[in-house]
Amino acid sequence: MDVATPTMMRPHRWDVPFDSDMTDADVEALMSIPAIANVRADAFPPHIPLRGILRNDARIVSYQPGDIVCREGDYGSSAFLILSGAVRVVLSPSLPRAVLGRQPVHKKGFFGALSQLWTNSRAPEVRDIARYRDIRAQSRGESGTGTHIFLQDVPGVLDHHRTISLPAGQIFGELAALGRVPRSATVFAETETHLLEIRWQGLRELRRFDPGWKRHIDENYRRNALHAVLQANPLFSGLTPEVLKEVADRVKFRTFGSFDWNVSYKEMRDSGAAGDEPIIAAEGLVQDGIYLVRAGFARASVRFGSAQRTLAYLGAGDQFGLDESYESWKTGKPVRRRNSLTGLGYVDVLRVPSDVLEEYVFPHLDVPPPPALTADRPIHDDAFAEWLGDERYFNATQAMLIDLERCVRCDDCVRACASTHGGNPRFVRKGRTFDRWMVANACMHCRDPVCMIGCPTGAIHRHEAVGVVVINDDTCIGCGTCANSCPYDNIRLVEIANPSGDAVVDADGRAIVKATKCDLCVEQLGGPACARACPHDALRRVSASVLVEQDAVTATGTKRL
Amino acid sequence: MRAVNRSSLPVWIVTSIAAVGIVYWHASPKLAYADRDFTTGYVLLGLMVFLALYNGRKKLSMLPLGKASTWLTLHLAGGVLALVIFRLHVGSLWPIGLMHRALAALFYAVCISGVIGYGLQLWLSRRLAQAGNEIIFERIPAEIAAIRAQAEKAVLKAAEDSGNDTLGRDYLQSLAWYFAQPRFFWSCAMGGFGRRSENWLQRNLHTIGRYLSEAERAHLDELSRLGAEKRRVDVQYAMQSLLKRWTMFHVPLAAAMLTLAVWHLILVQVFAQ
Repeated sequence: MDVATPTMMRPHRWDVPFDSDMTDADVEALMSIPAIANVRADAFPPHIPLRGILRNDARIVSYQPGDIVCREGDYGSSAFLILSGAVRVVLSPSLPRAVLGRQPVHKKGFFGALSQLWTNSRAPEVRDIARYRDIRAQSRGESGTGTHIFLQDVPGVLDHHRTISLPAGQIFGELAALGRVPRSATVFAETETHLLEIRWQGLRELRRFDPGWKRHIDENYRRNALHAVLQANPLFSGLTPEVLKEVADRVKFRTFGSFDWNVSYKEMRDSGAAGDEPIIAAEGLVQDGIYLVRAGFARASVRFGSAQRTLAYLGAGDQFGLDESYESWKTGKPVRRRNSLTGLGYVDVLRVPSDVLEEYVFPHLDVPPPPALTADRPIHDDAFAEWLGDERYFNATQAMLIDLERCVRCDDCVRACASTHGGNPRFVRKGRTFDRWMVANACMHCRDPVCMIGCPTGAIHRHEAVGVVVINDDTCIGCGTCANSCPYDNIRLVEIANPSGDAVVDADGRAIVKATKCDLCVEQLGGPACARACPHDALRRVSASVLVEQDAVTATGTKRL
Repeated sequence: MRAVNRSSLPVWIVTSIAAVGIVYWHASPKLAYADRDFTTGYVLLGLMVFLALYNGRKKLSMLPLGKASTWLTLHLAGGVLALVIFRLHVGSLWPIGLMHRALAALFYAVCISGVIGYGLQLWLSRRLAQAGNEIIFERIPAEIAAIRAQAEKAVLKAAEDSGNDTLGRDYLQSLAWYFAQPRFFWSCAMGGFGRRSENWLQRNLHTIGRYLSEAERAHLDELSRLGAEKRRVDVQYAMQSLLKRWTMFHVPLAAAMLTLAVWHLILVQVFAQ
């Protein structure tokens, strides 16, 4: 090998532990607590040993009374096991933002932004590899002993907010960690508390290899999910805690499809075959309650010709079948479903039985629910919506939608992206098209970011403050799991170079690669540079709901963006 | 045609009011001629500098300088206003003197190239969407090379299957020209999405077809398919070329005009004193 070729050690999963302060003594101490002692260490594969998980994917964090452990709305990627002490969960109402001490997102200053004009490298994908070495040598992971935000007025919180206490031995936070959703409640330390914080990669392995943890996590997951969903739904939000508990006990919880639905979807798309959609509620059968989507996506459809015609895409928080259930209660006769509900990929559904609704909900409804969806438009008007479903774009929160009739192919968007990312564009101005619309290959910051599922280091994560999906270049090991998982091909692996522009390789001469993608200019001033740079307003970053609205625009051809 | 962007209406209203105001002001009998010329000259130069800043905005996309679309609207409106002020400043459509005429010629050239460029953007962007087969401009040479490689492979296979080199010799004499690089530029850019190209290809394929055996004809069909694919790439190339290259006239002309305008200002200041 050329002696001048820059080399570095190939990064591995546990190069950067969650907390480098974790010692063998800590791990041995943890092995003796009941929640860990009952785990069969020999069930774990040799390359992912239980002790390795505790050493590298977990950390011990101490909290004083009043310290906030996690805040409602934050995107966390770890769960907590209470080792000693107790924590308190704020159920309702939510704590005000000021009390939670939310900090503004770190943005570049004006001169910091301007300096990119001359600091951007001319060579592609340049990294300061000395920094990687420093990070490994000095890494403390995410510090587990740093200062915490604390509540000023704990008695006031207890007086004015409904809370519950969790004692030692309990696990919390797994809902957000495994479900890739925001934290549903704020948790603070009630006494001096020691927690074992497990990042979700470790939690996933514990759940995967130990039946006890799997059962425990799943039970907690279901119980907490149920509670959170019911509380968030206007139908049940007015119920007393006792009644809510009664409802929760009678609700059926079901999961359809695969948690890593992206794998089967990609296979289906590559083969060109239509995917199977598990039926959640079939059209024509007697309505037996309402269905609430807790996570994932579902399709409401109606039989049309020899196939199903899409009426709507349902996501987390949406419900199905209320109209028929209400009509059945009102008329006293069984009513058949007018539409079907099928799962798209992975979907968690709650079914609230009709008798529960009739007992606790319908008598208190002031106005009847809106009528069930109908297909009263020409089918051509729905072609765009059907295409969105086929391409799974309903997952998008920030899809890059380009109006090809406005776009003059100047690539100012690409140049703007490059100028804000060290000279490297983070998207490609190509993608799937329908009529005059293109959804370009730029990260859509999905509602269900399946790219995060397999990341061994947690490098790809949700930004805790703003929720966009970002990649930590320091901890990315270039394994390509995220790029392979992304159903939309929006993550690219790039070979990195040193500041002189020479390719960086490992000891075997193989190129070091990193995953890259759009970060929605989270650290830049003024929002996504691509959208601001478009001189013809042809490019917009839009959510799935706006894409669906675009359907009407496309259909009529009379409106323009 | 694209609908009018409502958000740009205030800019056009203000521009119209400004243009009418300047015309009224300029027609005032109380003003001295020197004041009129100096004022309109400075305003015009300031406006030209502002119009040139639009290109600077593109280079500074990392800064929160507002949307480029707003800048484009201001650029267009400023250009129209510059035309009005230019006419007032010069006093006629074609001034006297070599220097003044050179400056006027550059001004008109910048205006005309700008109008043509903007017109091309409105027209060709829509045509590109209708043409389909979207390709990134920089990838077109690689795309054509890939099609050419397939075509040459088909020709070699035809010779291998039939033992004849009829198709191979004809390919070298005629079809190789077509597959070498983008062809029929104006037909692809302005006409019916490369109809001349299609006619040329079909005529050549038909001509050679009568001399081919059955074994070779299968490969001729493949060449026909590849030719159609190449034509779609040519259409993208021609239209995207025009969209990209008009600024190669507009921007250098504008730079030359601005330089000459500054020189004109210096001369006027020197001789005015």
